[in-house]
Parts: sequence; structure tokens; C-alpha cells
Amino acid sequence: MKNSLLQTKDLKKVYGKRDTVFEALKNVNIDIESGESVAIIGKSGSGKSTLMHLLALLDQPSKGDIYLNGQNTSKLKNRKLNRLRNKEFGFVFQSFFMNANDTVLNNVILPLKIAGIGRRERKRRAMEALKVVELDDKFKNKAKDLSGGQKQRVCIARAIVNNPKVIFADEPTGNLDSATGEKIENLLFDLNRDKGITLIIVTHDEELAAKCKRQIRIADGAVVADEKTKKGAR
Amino acid sequence: MKVTDVFRDANANLWRSKLRSILTILAIFVGSFTIILNSAINAGVNDFIDKQIENMGGEGYLEMMPTETYDQLAALMGNGGVQEYTEDKDVSNASPYIKDEQVERARALEGMKSFHALPSATADFATSDKTDKRYRINLNAIVPGINIDMSAGVAPDTSDDAPYEIALTEDMAKALGYENPADSVGQTIKIAVPSNLKCYTVTRRSECQVIVEAKIAGTQAPGILAMGGSRANIALWNRINEINFEGMPEGANHTFQAVADVEPDKIDEIKTKLEEIGLSAMSVDDEVGMIRVFFDAILIVFNIFGGIALVAASIGIINTLFMAVQERTREIGLDKALGMSNGKVFLSFSAEAIMLGFWGSVFGIAASIIAGNAANILAHETFLKDFPTFQLTVFEPLTMISIALIIMFIAFLAGTLPARRASKKNPIDALRYE
Repeated sequence: MKNSLLQTKDLKKVYGKRDTVFEALKNVNIDIESGESVAIIGKSGSGKSTLMHLLALLDQPSKGDIYLNGQNTSKLKNRKLNRLRNKEFGFVFQSFFMNANDTVLNNVILPLKIAGIGRRERKRRAMEALKVVELDDKFKNKAKDLSGGQKQRVCIARAIVNNPKVIFADEPTGNLDSATGEKIENLLFDLNRDKGITLIIVTHDEELAAKCKRQIRIADGAVVADEKTKKGAR
Repeated sequence: MKVTDVFRDANANLWRSKLRSILTILAIFVGSFTIILNSAINAGVNDFIDKQIENMGGEGYLEMMPTETYDQLAALMGNGGVQEYTEDKDVSNASPYIKDEQVERARALEGMKSFHALPSATADFATSDKTDKRYRINLNAIVPGINIDMSAGVAPDTSDDAPYEIALTEDMAKALGYENPADSVGQTIKIAVPSNLKCYTVTRRSECQVIVEAKIAGTQAPGILAMGGSRANIALWNRINEINFEGMPEGANHTFQAVADVEPDKIDEIKTKLEEIGLSAMSVDDEVGMIRVFFDAILIVFNIFGGIALVAASIGIINTLFMAVQERTREIGLDKALGMSNGKVFLSFSAEAIMLGFWGSVFGIAASIIAGNAANILAHETFLKDFPTFQLTVFEPLTMISIALIIMFIAFLAGTLPARRASKKNPIDALRYE
């Protein structure tokens, strides 16, 4: 447990009230270690996205606790949660979520701007991140002029620009063809391997899930399987 | 997020839907333009009136006449109504005059700095070495406490034993042969003063006229005061009076008007007390203040228009920003997911509202300065020809900045509703929103 990065205890999430009550998550207990690559697999409506939102501290559980580095996050104030998300987490979404009319550079800068980092420093760090995804030559382009794969790479650059400990990727290849998708996958796994960034991928794509060191299967709001592949291999 | 970044982004965001922002700014512009121009006219008029009051001896200057005269004038103007005849008024319908006893009581009033009873004095004409022509001259007295706005030279010496001095109007100086007002300073003019009693006995008027020489101390700047004619100092005035009443019995030389300089904060009290003594007093504010009341009334109406325009503009701001919040739902969600606080989201939309107010005010200020100066030039070519010192519009930087700040604050208030909605958005719902 000393290496535990994210840990949940009896995590419950309930939507609606009384007659329309719906249990999205039922007593989820998982423990993710630093440096792991974890796939959260499930059909749509299984609760996998809800779990990711809770792990990413975007939402509050109805019951139970989430520990980040051993610290109970339910006791934290909003300010602290915002800072944690900004500093420790990176996000990659299926439909990118970029400001299409803004430049590539400004899209990557966004987390640093929110963090209140000065103009020169944030540009330097954004260019570094763009270099990692090999798009530093496109920094002046408008985001909307990029191809799907390039957009997702910009999003990865945005996710890593603040040197996060965890990257949450929600169906990162869902909108891409398989060749481009593979490139994105490789990029993510490289980051996991080379920089030790913990990777949490939410997907229903078994192939992608198989590439992760660990698969957590969710069905009807409960963990039905939690297994590690390629034991010993990294 | 740094506040400077918030405002820079807010300004950039405005131009994402250009037409919508421009129309909203236009609405704010209408209000700010009206209010700023109004305040400039208000400042111009008040500045002018204040200057005139200052010229006429400031706020403490009073002109007095016997209350009977005042009532007679009122009756002549048709305002007096029917007045009862009373035996004890020793002067009935003859010209009432100020009696020594009244002068003494008036002088003794608290807050009275100086009091001058002026005997009557009339002159027939004035002429100079520079011209053969003779001109009728309207004379008025200049007493201590009254200031004159001089366009050339200095105000005449008002002490009792000063040499005879006069402040001409610019027109009179020109007529007397001095092309430039400055040329007349220090020159001597001749004033023909009738000796009234003698004039009854002679056949030609010139036989009863005494020529008095007076030094031109300077010329008066055109203005309301200069309409009162040329101003003689006390010494010259008294000399003219002396000639006018030469040979007449002592009692015939009456005082019909008086001027006083009083402490400005006691002016109302003193006016009431003078009324009890039997003297009707008018301050400069009473005379010029009419203009102020008139302009104030007009400006209040226009300011109400400006205010209504701003209310309408505020609704425009609310509408624009609600649309922006709706459009940028996903963006807000992303910002929040990436760690932006509710407060900063609120601030970023408020900043947009403030920027709308800012641009509306900036364009309002610019346009009102252009319009105000154009109006000024036009006015001086037409109805303000005779008042070169009167600026129709006076733009005070401090006033304009405060108006701009108030408008930005109103914009901010209008923006709080949409900004609140933006800040309350749940990042997950916002990211799911298509």
C-alpha cells in the first residue's frame, strides 16, 4: 500500500431520488499504484465513466472515500481539489475538447494559464510538450485545421504540459481510425513507460485494454474482474 | 489564473461573435455618449456661470434697490398685482430712494464686508483724441469687492481718492479709435457730464456740459457683465454725480442703488434682513442662476434618456452573455476539469461584461469629445458669438473616468447573472454537453 496512488473505499454513486434512484457504482474498492497502466473496461452504462470521473476528482461520491497518495480527498476543499486536478492530472477525451478557433499553442497552454504561470514560462513548457508529440512545428496553427490524430496529440501535449502524475484517457482512440489510434496508444504507453506517468484508460476496446498492464472490468456499477496481464513484463 | 490573463481572454472572447458584441457595445455607447456629453455641457454651463459670478464679485456680491422700486418695477412688468396705498410711505409714486438710516442699518448687518450706496450719475457722451465722433456712454460703477474680467489693462482703482479711471467695453474702445483693446490702456478719454440744473436755463446742451477727463484702466472681456456698459471707479462716479447735482439742494441728491460684498455663506440671511430694512437685494446667482436652472432641467431629462439607454444596454449584456455561456458550455467544463475555480469562471464572464462596458464607455467618450468640440465650434459661429470665453462643453478627465467606471460597474452587475450560471456549471455535465 505504500506505493498506492489512488485508492477507493466502498465507493458508491447514486443518481436520482426515491423512485427513480439509480446506482451507478456499488461498493467499488480498487487500488491503483503509481506508474501502473490501467484499463477500466465496460459497456456503455456500466459505470466506468462515472468511476473515472470520481477518480479524477471531477465528481463527489455518494458514499465512500477516495485516497490520493494516502490522503482522503473527501475532506479536501474545492480550492485544493482544483489545484490537485491541475497539478497532478492530465485529461485526454474521446472528442478532444479543444478550443477549435484558438491556436495549438494556446490549447496546450490552458492548464498552465489556469495554474497562473507567467507567459514566457508557459510558452516554453508548452513547446516542450508539443515536441514530445512531434507537433512543435504546428504551434501557430488553428486547432480546427488539424487532423483527428493531430488533435488528439495536441490534447496529449495539453495533458502532459503540467507534468502530471496521472493521465486519465476517456476512449482516447474512439474517434480515430486504427492506424492513427495506434500511434496515439503508443504515445500514451511511451509516456507511461518513460516518464512513469500513471495511465488510466477508460475504454470498451478490448485490444487497447489488453495493452495495459492491468484491466479492471466494470459491469452494472461493480468491479467484476481485476487482473494483470504480462506478469513481470513492463 | 492571473487576473490579467482573465481580462485579456475576456477581451479576446468578445470578438468571437463580433456582430453580437458590437451591437451590445453600441447599446452601451448610446447611454455613455449621452451621459458624458450631458456632463460636459453641464460642466461648460456651470463653468461659465461660475466665471460670470466670479467676474461680478463672486458669490458675496449683492445689488440693492429700495423695495418700493422693486415693487414698482414688478407692477410695471405686470407681476406686482394691485397694491394698497399707504400714507406712511413718504415717497408715494415718485422714485423711491435709499435713506441714510437704511444705509446705516444695512452696514451694521453681520457678515457685511463692504456696503456702497451709489448716488445717481449720468453722462452724455464720450470722445477721445483719436476720433472726432462723440458716442453716448452707458456708465456703471465699479466698487470694492467686484471683480472685472479684463481683456486688456487692469481693473480701475476703487479707492475713494483714486484718480478718475474707467474700464471700457471693447466695443466702446474700438469706437473711440483704439483698434486694439491693448492700445487704449493708459489713454485718456473725455466724458461730457451735464450739470442738470443749469441745463434748464441754457439753450444749447453743450453750454451746461462739463468735460471730465478719465484714464482708461483697461477693457472688459465680453460677457454678461460687459453688457452693463463701461465702468467708472468710485472717484469718477462721485465726480460725475457732483456735476449732475451742482447747485441743487442737498436733499435732492438721492441714492437709488447700493452694492455690497457680503460673506457668501450668510448671503440668504442677509438678503432677508435687508428686506426687513426695506432693501431688495439680488445676488449674481439670482440673476445668472436662471440659466443654471434652465440647463439643469434639460440635462436631467437627457440624463434620464441616457439612464434608460443604459438599462436597455444592461439587458443586452445579460442576453449576450447568456448566449456566450450556452455556447461555451463545453469550454467551461474543460476549464473546470483542468482546475479552474468557480470564482475564476465567474470572474471570466464578469470580465467580459466589464470589457463590454469598457469599450462602450471608450467609444462614448471619444464620440462625445468629437461631438462636443464640433458643437462648440458651431455655437461660437452662431449663438455664442459674443461669448468667446464660454465653452459650451467642458470635458473633465476625472468626470469622464468616473462615468466610465460607473458604466463598467453597471455592466458588471448585469454580467453577474450569466457569470453565476457559468460558475455553477458542473464540469461533467458540461463536458457531456453536445
